[in-house]
Parts: sequence; structure tokens; C-alpha cells
Amino acid sequence: MKATALEEGAGLLARFGRDRLSRAAACFILLVSVIALFAPLIAGSHPHAPVGYGPDDISLPDRLQPPGAKHWLGTDELGRDLLSRVIHGSRVSMTVGSTATLISLFVGTLFGALAGFYRGVVDTLISRLIEIVLCFPFIFLLLAITALYRPSLWTVVLALGLTSWTTEARIIRGEFLRVREMEFAEAARASGAGDLRVIFRHLLPHAVGPVLVFASFGVASAILTESALSFLGFGIPLPTASWGGILSTADDHLTSAWWLPLFPGLLIFLTAAAFNVVGEGFRRALDPTFRE
Amino acid sequence: MISYLSRRVVHALLTLFGILTFAFVLIHAVPGDPVSFAAHTGRSRAVPREVLEAARREYHLDEPIAIQYVSWMRRMVSLDLGRSFVDQRPVYEKIAEKVPNTFFLNLAAFLGASVLALAMGIASASPLQRSRRRGVSFSILYSLPNFWVALLLIEVAAVRFDILPLYGMVSDGHDELSTAAQLVDRLRHLILPAVTLGYAQFALFARFAVTSLDEVITKDYIVTARAKGVSSRGVVVRHALRNAMIPLVSLLGLAVPLLLSGSVIVEQIFQWDGIGSLYFQSLLARDYPTIMGLTVITAVVTLLASLVTDLLYFLVDPRIRIEEGR
Repeated sequence: MKATALEEGAGLLARFGRDRLSRAAACFILLVSVIALFAPLIAGSHPHAPVGYGPDDISLPDRLQPPGAKHWLGTDELGRDLLSRVIHGSRVSMTVGSTATLISLFVGTLFGALAGFYRGVVDTLISRLIEIVLCFPFIFLLLAITALYRPSLWTVVLALGLTSWTTEARIIRGEFLRVREMEFAEAARASGAGDLRVIFRHLLPHAVGPVLVFASFGVASAILTESALSFLGFGIPLPTASWGGILSTADDHLTSAWWLPLFPGLLIFLTAAAFNVVGEGFRRALDPTFRE
Repeated sequence: MISYLSRRVVHALLTLFGILTFAFVLIHAVPGDPVSFAAHTGRSRAVPREVLEAARREYHLDEPIAIQYVSWMRRMVSLDLGRSFVDQRPVYEKIAEKVPNTFFLNLAAFLGASVLALAMGIASASPLQRSRRRGVSFSILYSLPNFWVALLLIEVAAVRFDILPLYGMVSDGHDELSTAAQLVDRLRHLILPAVTLGYAQFALFARFAVTSLDEVITKDYIVTARAKGVSSRGVVVRHALRNAMIPLVSLLGLAVPLLLSGSVIVEQIFQWDGIGSLYFQSLLARDYPTIMGLTVITAVVTLLASLVTDLLYFLVDPRIRIEEGR
């Protein structure tokens, strides 16, 4: 069983890699991840750093400088180097995108698996819960949570993760309804395995594929939502550099400093688009009707 | 039919009960009580002590949690949303007066997006070939952060070229204009917010329209229509479109929460005087009755939209009726 799963995975990757746009998007994600991981080494006021300014180094004489040789992407209203802030801001986006998605994957998989495996009352209860959560327009719910609790990176991550698991739960539930009827599930039960062992050890590996692909879309939407919250002032508290936070200050300088709204927004867009394109690529690679 | 409808309505009532309970849990999981939350110095001035004491009595906050829950439910069912901490006016009234502004903005965005999406679906559908890659271009469109699009639109259309108003719903001196000029003035103010709110909807609808038409176009009855000599365009418009519209009905239910979410951001940026702006101001003022009132009301509106969607589905798709009848 393991070997065929591996082979399947390799085949999936090969089909995914055939598409040039998907490859480019995957490379872009890799690049942003590396930058986020090594941000303090790349941009800081220490010697040897390729970008010689820290994200919070205020220099009032240099305020609102356009992009140039000294400040490649220009400076903000406090004279902070925009390139350095954007590099450090990538850490927020990548952290929120990945951890919020992990939380919603975990919660969604758990609920979806229980609903699909036990059916009956458990399924009814979980399906109702999903419907209730979906009724709240997500920005209203997220703003209420981040405003009622103390705003911080982890409040945002938890709020995003705990409100966005519904699609994952629906996908996993559907897959479980399918695989629980298969012979190997019957065999596992007949050989005396308990429910938990059947769910996590035997069924989950066969049900988890589609939801892992969906996770890529989840990261994109988490990054977009976090930046919107930070833009509105209810996300990552200042002075931490985040792409949405930079855009909220750019709002006051639209007429005089075009570089302030342009670069952080472009990065949010490119990163979210890259995750969406990768998701599309995997979806096509999984879909048998697209195979040549 | 009656049994289907009544079952659906009972489900919706259960969900409504869940929504109210969920909102109650959300407030009561906050450290301290919701009234002391308002007393913290927020970004605007603190709420007067008398108002807080009155609120504490009104919400039965000194009594056991079960009594609080029952009184919360009773008040919600009788549409009593309490009074605003900011100006002591009933929350229900504050929300009701903003609804028309948000409604027209959302309607403009929704109509624009669906008309464009349908046109695009028809233009690109062809009974001769299936599309492969169109999904990608749409996902790129909804990777654009809407607040950034708003900033760019303002920068280009309002600041650089000065062809559209920067923000607000009417110009200064709107009242002195003739009726026709007033209408033009309102429409000019509507364009940028509606575009910002609508483009993501357009991406969603267009994607649905294209895939739905693509699927229908391979059906046998399309081949039959072609064989009897209907033109390629005629097949799409007369035969495929009707059947492709069925799944599109379900988008109505999806669109409502998305539009409402978008309204908060768009109304805030363009200073549009609707419920999104009201929500944002209430958050800044920590006006807890208004925050909770809007959270509950938008959820109920979404629930109603999904109920209407299901009923529409029932009306347009005879297959569901037959299955239900069995």
C-alpha cells in the first residue's frame, strides 16, 4: 500500500511539474519562504547584510524618499527603508498563512473524519456546526474576534484557523463516506482494530489527498485576509512590519509616495497568486479528465 | 413540495438557534465581561459609567450564565438589540438606517459582476472545444487584495486623472443640483466602490459560468441541436445557457456573505455610509451592543439568502422535485 501511495505521489508531482506556470509559482513560493526564514540576516543594520537597514531604523531626514540607489524601494513617512520592512513583513505573511492553514487542516480533518466515519447523529451535529460557522460573513467574525481579544499575531492566526476549517471538513467528510465502504476498511475492522486506529491509520491516508491540495488555496486566502485585517488596524499590531500594515500607512501618502502602496500590495498579490496557481496545478494533476 | 419546504425551514430555524448561541459564546469567552470591555480606554473616548451600569443590568451580567443566556435569546427573538453605548439610540434603528446604502452598493456590484460573467461565459463557450487553462486566470483575479485595488483605483482615477470622486456618497452642494444632476453625481460616486466590491465576485461567477457551460456543452442534447443545424452561437445561447444557469443559482447564497465582508473594507476606504462603516466605527468605539447586533444580523441575512437559494434551486431544477417526491 505504501509503495503505491509513493508512486502516486511521484506521478502527481511529475504531472504538476509539466506546467510551466505552476513551476514558476512554486519557485516564487520557495524564494519568499527563504527570504522570510533568513530576513534578519538579509536586512539589518549589522555589517555584511545585503540590505543595510533594519525594518525599524527611523531616520527622519530620509523620510518619504523615492526609490533610488540608497533605498532601493524608497522610504516611508518615518524614513524607514521600505525594502527592509517588506523583507521582514514576509515573515508575518508566511507565518500566518502556514500556521492558520495547519490549524484549519487539523480541525477540519478531525471534524470531517468523525462526521464521515460515524455518520448519523455525529454527522448531523457537525454538518449543522459547519452551516452555522458559514453563516457569519468572515470579515465580521474575524474583526469581532480580533477586536474583542487583544490583537496579536497569534490572535490573528487562531481566529483565521478556527473560522476557515469548514471547507476542509466538507472535503474530508466526503472522502470518508467513500473510503469507509472499501474492502480494506472492512478488513481493518474485521481484524479487530479500534475506531481511532481505523480512522487515522487506515482511512485517513486514503482520504487526505484532495484536502492537502486545497491547503494551497487556504494559504492564499489566509495571507489575503491577514493583510486586510492588518490594513484595517485589527491585525498585526504596529510597529511590527507586515505587508497589510505598511499599506495602511500608505493610505495617507497616496498622492506623494506611490511606492508605499505599490510594492507591499504587489507582494501580497504575487504571493497569494502563487499559492492559488500551485493549488490549481495540483488540482489539474489530480483530475483524471485533464490527463493527456 | 410542502414537506421539502417545511423541512428546509425547520433546518434554518435550528441554524438560527445555533447562530445566536454561537454569538453568545463568542461574547462570553472574552476575558472580563462585555461591558468592562467597553470601559477599557479604546481608541475613542471611554463610555460613561451610568451607561455601563445600565447595560450591566440590562444584560443581567451579575446573574448566573444560564439566566444571561435565556435573557439573550429572548431579546434576540424579539429583535431587541439593545442601545448603542455611543449615542444611546436603539441599535436596531442605527442599523436599519444604513441598510439602503449598503444594499444599493452591493446590488450594483452584484449585477455588474453577474452580467459581465454571463457575457464572458457565453463568449468563450463553444460546442467545438473545451477550455483547459481558464481557471488559472480567474484565480489570479481573486488573488488581488481588494483594499489594494481600492488604493490603486483612487490613486489612478481620483488623484492622477481626477475623473471620479475620491470618496463619499455625494459631492458638496449635492442638494442644490437638479434631479438629473443629483443622479449622475450619485452614480459617479458609486463607480469606484462598486468596482472594488465587484471584481472578485466577477471572478467567482465567471469561473462558474465557464465551467458550467463547458460541462453542459458536451451533453447529448447539444450534439442533437448541432446536428439538426442550429448555429454554434445559437446552441450556446438557446440550449446550453438555460441548463448551465442551474448551478449558478447556488452562487447567490455564496455571494451574500462575500459581498457583506467586502462591504466592511470598501465602505471604510471610500467612506460609504453603510453598515460596513457603522461596524468599523463601532469596533473603534468598542460599542459592544452595535458590534453584536451587526454580527448577528449579517449572519441571519446570510442564512436567509441560503434559504432563498435552496428554494430557487427547487423551482428551477425539476430533478430535485422528483427526487424529493420519492
